[in-house]
Amino acid sequence: MSAWERSLVILLVIVTTGFGLGVPGFFDDISGFLSMTSNFLPFGIVALGLSLVIFTGGIDLSVGATASLAAVMAAQLWATMGLNIWVASLIGLAAGGVLGGINAAVIVFLRVEPLIATLATSFIYTSAAVAVAGDAPPSGFPDAFNTLGSGALSLGRFQFPYQLLLFLPLAMLFWLLVGRSAFGRKLVTVGYNSEAARYSGIRVPRVLAAAYVISGMMAALAGLVLSAYYSAARADMGDVLLLTTIAMVVLGGVSIFGGEGSMGGVIVAVLLLGLLRQGMLIAGFSDMVTSMLTGAILIGSIAARNLFSTRAGGFGRRLLAFVRRPAVAGTDITRHDAS
Amino acid sequence: MIQLSVPRDVTAQAVLGARGIVKQFGPVDVLRGIDLELRPGRILTLMGENGAGKSTMFRILAGQLQPTAGELTLNGEPLRLSSPHAAHAHGIHLVPQEPMLLPELTVAETMFLGRLPMTGAIFRHVDWKDVRRRAQAVLHMLDLDIDIDRCAKTLSIAQLQLVECAKALLHDCRIILFDEPTSPLTSHEVDNLFTIMRRLAADGCTLSFISHRTEEVLEISDDVAVLRDGRLVDSAERGSFDRARLLSTMVGRTLRDLPRRETSYATGQTVLEVEELASEPSFRRIGFQLRRGEILGLAGLVGAGRTEIAETIFGVRRPTAGRVRLAGEVVTGKPCHDLIRKGLVYVPEDRARHGAVLAMTIAQNVTSGLLERVRQSAGLLSGADETRLGATAVRDFRVRCAGLDQPLRELSGGNQQKVVFSKWIATGPKVAILDEPTRGVDVGSKEEIYELIEAMARDGMAVLVISSETEELVRLCDRVLSLYEGELVAELTGEGITAAAVSASYLGRANVEDAT
Amino acid sequence: MSAIAMPSRRPVVAPRFAMTRELMLVAVTLGLTVMVGLLNHDFVGAQNLRFMLLNSVVLSLVALGQTLVIAMRGIDLSVAPILGLAAMVCGLLAQTHGLSLAVALPLALSIGLVLGTINGLLVATLDIPPIVVTLGTYSLYSGLTFLYSDGTQVDAVPSTFAAFGNGHLFGVVPVPTPVLVLLVVLALCWYVLRHTAFGRAVLAVGNNASAAYAAGLPVTWVRIRVYALSGTLAAFAGLMFLCYTGSATVTAGTGDHIELQSIAVSLIGGTAIAGGRGNLIGTVLGSLFLSVVLTALVFLHVPPIWYSAGEGLMILAAVQAGIGRRRGSRA
Repeated sequence: MSAWERSLVILLVIVTTGFGLGVPGFFDDISGFLSMTSNFLPFGIVALGLSLVIFTGGIDLSVGATASLAAVMAAQLWATMGLNIWVASLIGLAAGGVLGGINAAVIVFLRVEPLIATLATSFIYTSAAVAVAGDAPPSGFPDAFNTLGSGALSLGRFQFPYQLLLFLPLAMLFWLLVGRSAFGRKLVTVGYNSEAARYSGIRVPRVLAAAYVISGMMAALAGLVLSAYYSAARADMGDVLLLTTIAMVVLGGVSIFGGEGSMGGVIVAVLLLGLLRQGMLIAGFSDMVTSMLTGAILIGSIAARNLFSTRAGGFGRRLLAFVRRPAVAGTDITRHDAS
Repeated sequence: MIQLSVPRDVTAQAVLGARGIVKQFGPVDVLRGIDLELRPGRILTLMGENGAGKSTMFRILAGQLQPTAGELTLNGEPLRLSSPHAAHAHGIHLVPQEPMLLPELTVAETMFLGRLPMTGAIFRHVDWKDVRRRAQAVLHMLDLDIDIDRCAKTLSIAQLQLVECAKALLHDCRIILFDEPTSPLTSHEVDNLFTIMRRLAADGCTLSFISHRTEEVLEISDDVAVLRDGRLVDSAERGSFDRARLLSTMVGRTLRDLPRRETSYATGQTVLEVEELASEPSFRRIGFQLRRGEILGLAGLVGAGRTEIAETIFGVRRPTAGRVRLAGEVVTGKPCHDLIRKGLVYVPEDRARHGAVLAMTIAQNVTSGLLERVRQSAGLLSGADETRLGATAVRDFRVRCAGLDQPLRELSGGNQQKVVFSKWIATGPKVAILDEPTRGVDVGSKEEIYELIEAMARDGMAVLVISSETEELVRLCDRVLSLYEGELVAELTGEGITAAAVSASYLGRANVEDAT
Repeated sequence: MSAIAMPSRRPVVAPRFAMTRELMLVAVTLGLTVMVGLLNHDFVGAQNLRFMLLNSVVLSLVALGQTLVIAMRGIDLSVAPILGLAAMVCGLLAQTHGLSLAVALPLALSIGLVLGTINGLLVATLDIPPIVVTLGTYSLYSGLTFLYSDGTQVDAVPSTFAAFGNGHLFGVVPVPTPVLVLLVVLALCWYVLRHTAFGRAVLAVGNNASAAYAAGLPVTWVRIRVYALSGTLAAFAGLMFLCYTGSATVTAGTGDHIELQSIAVSLIGGTAIAGGRGNLIGTVLGSLFLSVVLTALVFLHVPPIWYSAGEGLMILAAVQAGIGRRRGSRA
């Protein structure tokens, strides 16, 4: 476990015990505690897929819109076409993959930067979501479906939320995928240096396509889980996903430029930010304040990492650079292969 | 002479001296006490192999690095250069090996980067008229026909270098240092550059230039200083040095002792056939055959098209004509992952950009070409297998490192190159194309890499070596093909591969006839 | 002595080339206006033309700042909440304490300056990627707006504000005040970018920050100032928004994702996301183009749900055109 991951785990423990002791209602019993996760695990699902994209050095701004569109599509298939809710959900999931595939196509074939491409597709998918939702967004799904989002499995005395049952294996799968599979290695290599990856025989377009398709599918899954949770599907449901999931991924130690990072860190960050948010809500803070705190933590953690990085005195030097014009620019760059 | 800006004492003879310059990077001694003198009106060439310390010396002279010991002098007076700015203030300008690219800015603005002339009493704004006038003037002075309004991204490397020259003059720098300027240039562009340099020298400027190409050195230098392993081993004036002396002092032994391989491992079995291959405008009508166990060299100046040929064979670049056959199978235009699977590997010239991922560990780099072999069941990578392969590579290739988990970027150039080699050799290819295999490699590791290449041939691999170093080609190759501006102009075999013949063949057909 | 002519290996880019994007935008906008006008005469009526113009002003103001940030190879997602905060603060103070426009203006600018400077400091001195910084400050500044408004919103503004946002100078100038203001701001920004040392430094940093640093340019300071400028412009846009719409809610700016729109419009206007060049006039034209397109969709009775998609397709088209050209000139 890297130093960063260790710090995150420590922070998680601190937050959990802090809230557990200080805020009544946070940790009354294990089942209650676990049930809280249903509030934020959809974010975690998106974060899993989004991490893959960010590992390659790209970004997917369309996750929110994809979640909404897939959810609304599945809901409409059930509501107006009478399809079985589970079949409709599978179609929604597949749709998420297709939407991710479109992203990949725009990025690879049209050679558009991921930021721009997914910005544009997010607009398009949002429109489509509103169109599909129509005047009366579907709601009132069968109970069996809704329990996926808000229900729990009874294991003896404990209630284990279905969302958690869904998330944990997924998290493990992604952890293995990124950390221990050939695909994960290719993903990270592409993120570090896509040219070197190509020369190594890695099929970069395939790797990118896989990343975006998976991201789309995870976004769709999150949308479906959200619609189960609320027992309704609305076109703006996914709006809230984007910023928080990016925060989770970056806090988890994944470099926004690609290559660096691990899935383990992201999983811990999901739990950390999620529980933090829940704890604050229970303690009576408003939604907005918890958002603010998320933002502050995001900035603070990266800042802290940079300050304590290999370059000792980096902060001091930078402050000096701000104060004084850098006329003394003679930097001694250590090179092993001087000629 | 045109006054281009605030006149410094421009008529003063600028003698830049260095006394006892020592430079250490951590435990590594790069310069071990260099004495140099750059005199006005003369071109001093600094020669030496990779790792000899030439670039480092220039960077010290230009204020980019501080010497560990020793001092610089200007006209006999001690000179302290705390930064490139201080150097500029004293009229010293370094034209870097790779020009700093500001693609969207115009030529004129690039020349004035950081020093735009301002005007206006109340609202200080850029004096574009002055910028244009002075930029135009200095380009005119050098007789350069480059439009000052063009964006830098539309210029070729040769043009960017000349703009750098102009920039030096613009800021009244009379001491101009050129760090390996000719590497990316075609012979025609080299001629242009040399004309400009002679003109500057005639005008009283103090010039110095780095090259390891003996032909160029002979052509342009008034003085030569040869560095080897951080020491000045020879210095001479025009008229008292010739090719043989240069080569021998650079390398440290007389030319006749230039080692060649005793045995050739070439068999009769042709494994790579290239027919009428072309990728316009880089090269055309390339045809050759490569046999198992053979080491074929591809010689020529940079820009001649050698890397482009390799890239076309490897599938990174699209061919406009011709055929490539690997073990009888036509593979023209197939993508690189296909070729790797079929047994053709390419070790690229630019290690940092294409050859390896410097941020990843040694073990990860070693296995990056072999992910299949490290796969367990269920598609997961085996950590144990990876460690084993990594350890084998480090042992077999004598990679000096602190551990398998060390990021590649922390290794020396030579060791990095060995890791890259190990990555590809481990796949057991039929054909290996090595592009500048010892670029950026310290002299000590070079010999080890040569032995590796020989071992590859001995094991039955067909090897194509692209190199700009005559010595390397002479040492390694069974045959040498020479490329000049995109076309094959000579083939040397066996005893015919001599330093003289090889370096002569770089410069075109006519010279080959003269030399052999 | 003979001139040494250097044949370039890459196609020559003529200086006039830079104007093509602006002309194209103007042509397409005019063409679209005429076409829709033929179908519905009201589209080209004085009232609608005025509306389309005015409607683009707020976005243009925000986008001008964003263009400068992008030209420096950065990004500023926090412009949306800065706009909202400025609108809310000025609006509430005007509504409840009778704040005058003369005071509101420096107040708004100060808010933007402070918030933008915070962004700049975090990016430049702590080495945090701009997308992460502005993502974080997005939520921080949104929270500020929420906390300050404390559940209230602005429903009415003093007549001076409304006049500033909708009226005409001295009652007689044919061009609406906001448009005049935008033109002034555009001229100022253009001047700064083209003719001041700071502006040229912004482009130098966007092209190659290490070359700029080596040449002695104060890169850190330049970065801070650009984000400060972006924040200031966003806040000014917030004041304009308040005056134009006569209201402000907690979701002003953030609700419409004006940060994404400002990026979109900059891209449409010809500023590359990779930085190095900034097309301010193109940005304003792009904003106007967007306004015309969206209004056209209304007049053509296209369901509102497709507006967003239209925006997305336009971004792709605009970027494609840019990329198509750039590919040809890169070796």
